[in-house]
Amino acid sequence: MTALSLSLPGPRLIRAELLKLRKRRGLLAIVAAATLGASLVAYGILAILHAANPVHHGPAGGVLNLGHGLFVLALLGTVAATLVGATAGAGDLSSGVFRELAVTGRSRSALFRARIPGGLAFLLSFVAVAYGLAALATVVFAGYRTVPSAALLAGSGAWLLLTCAFWFALALGLASLVGSRSTVIGVLLAFQLAVTPILASIPVLGLGRELLPSVSLTRLAPHAVRELAAGGSVVPTSLGTAELVVAVWVLALLALGEWRTVTRSA
Amino acid sequence: MRVRTVRPMNTSRSDSYVVEVEGLTKRFGARVAVNDVALRIPRGSAFGYLGPNGAGKTTLIRMLLGLTWPTAGSMRLLGLPMPNGRAAALARVGAIVEEPRFHRYLTGRENLSIVAAAREPEAHRRIDGALDRVGLAARADERAGAYSLGMRQRLGVARCLLANPELLILDEPMNGLDPAGMEDFRLMIRGLVDEGRTVVLSSHLLDEVEKTCDAIAIVDRGRVVVQGPIDTLTGDAPTVLVATSDDLRAQALLSGADIEPVDGGLRVGIEDERSIAAINRRLVEAGVDVHRLEPERVSLERRFLEITSRLEAAA
Repeated sequence: MTALSLSLPGPRLIRAELLKLRKRRGLLAIVAAATLGASLVAYGILAILHAANPVHHGPAGGVLNLGHGLFVLALLGTVAATLVGATAGAGDLSSGVFRELAVTGRSRSALFRARIPGGLAFLLSFVAVAYGLAALATVVFAGYRTVPSAALLAGSGAWLLLTCAFWFALALGLASLVGSRSTVIGVLLAFQLAVTPILASIPVLGLGRELLPSVSLTRLAPHAVRELAAGGSVVPTSLGTAELVVAVWVLALLALGEWRTVTRSA
Repeated sequence: MRVRTVRPMNTSRSDSYVVEVEGLTKRFGARVAVNDVALRIPRGSAFGYLGPNGAGKTTLIRMLLGLTWPTAGSMRLLGLPMPNGRAAALARVGAIVEEPRFHRYLTGRENLSIVAAAREPEAHRRIDGALDRVGLAARADERAGAYSLGMRQRLGVARCLLANPELLILDEPMNGLDPAGMEDFRLMIRGLVDEGRTVVLSSHLLDEVEKTCDAIAIVDRGRVVVQGPIDTLTGDAPTVLVATSDDLRAQALLSGADIEPVDGGLRVGIEDERSIAAINRRLVEAGVDVHRLEPERVSLERRFLEITSRLEAAA
């Protein structure tokens, strides 16, 4: 085997990562609730409200509620992604199994890289199904509202998957770097849910706000649902800048995580 | 510090040794955990690596396995230089470092499959056989979190067997085992050695090592102070325990010999077993009744304590 093939994760290693995640009942329940549950509850409530009082509550579907649904799914999907990423990154370390894997002689880079497809397969399967339910609801329950086009549905779905994959990658890299699941969950959730909205709302920071991941991710959302999905005002930034910022965050954190995995004293 | 090599080791590198270490040193700041260690472990043997707590046993094992990096020195594992040959060497090594660790929420079988995924494809096909061999086949589908310490130790050995290893490195594998579990473990290790594998046992359970191993190294304060076959280590300087009607007179009568008063009599150093009859004759002819005349095999524990206490006194 060449050095390159040794450092690439094979399908067996990826399946092992997937097994480790899907067998965690607590994680499974939280991710299912934050994705499938959120989608069912959000559109269920909208449909019930509309059925109960059509005058005050419009139809549960349409482009408008696609945007609202994306906001909910992106927010909770981000939480789920952080949990999954932090677990994938630090699970072996916290259980002591990382040492057992390291003594197999398998490249530590391969051990790290297997976490990426393994974790994404676990996370994005839930997010995709949740979005599928949301997309179906926005069409079926559109009523008099504008029905989202296929292109908008596809673009919105891709954006949601990208957003969740982004936060997963950040959590994975950071957890592999610091070796603590709980610390990473706390730091990243605080950053996403508290620090970022505050920083993004301070105009004096100017271009500095474009470095915030959420600002760039919002810019990548389809135009028709961008403000709704962001849940508020959008910081203006170019598409190229947004793509660059997202790529740099992901690559930097994954590189740091891999470096630490390779150099860590096990 | 006196360093004694019981059997001078062959200085040429060959396939005879699964581990060859020269000048290996590991420092943690000012503290030297492993100090200029030279060690050779013969292939196809059960090798005990003994030392008091904190002597540097686990640190040396961790360096051998590429889990931490040496400050100085060179290592060869299965004839391959480390760390360059790490992947190829470790593919044929099974190891338990300190307590074997598992994902508690996964079953025993799933835990093995996790590690098998990091090994060659054949490793998956060895899972059932490995579980069977360590006696866990019936409980392989229970969560590892519900396993006793003894079961976890056995599952750790099963995990080692996934590599079909030439070399097993087991760090304190008998910790927490009951006497029956120790006996099972001992038989399993001997079985592995009989198959031509090499088993390295790091332990402070001297009696178990003595019963299990063919050769040992004793490490103290980071240094290997003695290494060689157990028979050579425990068999030299034979002694006999003598209990008489008058130990003081007996001591005077045997004054030319190496004599040490012990509880219930005297320990007398002898050249060989023929000396026992001479001692008996001398005492009886002098009118001293001999109540006990028992050849004493030097236990590993006694040899270990002699060596480590001597070093302590010299320090």
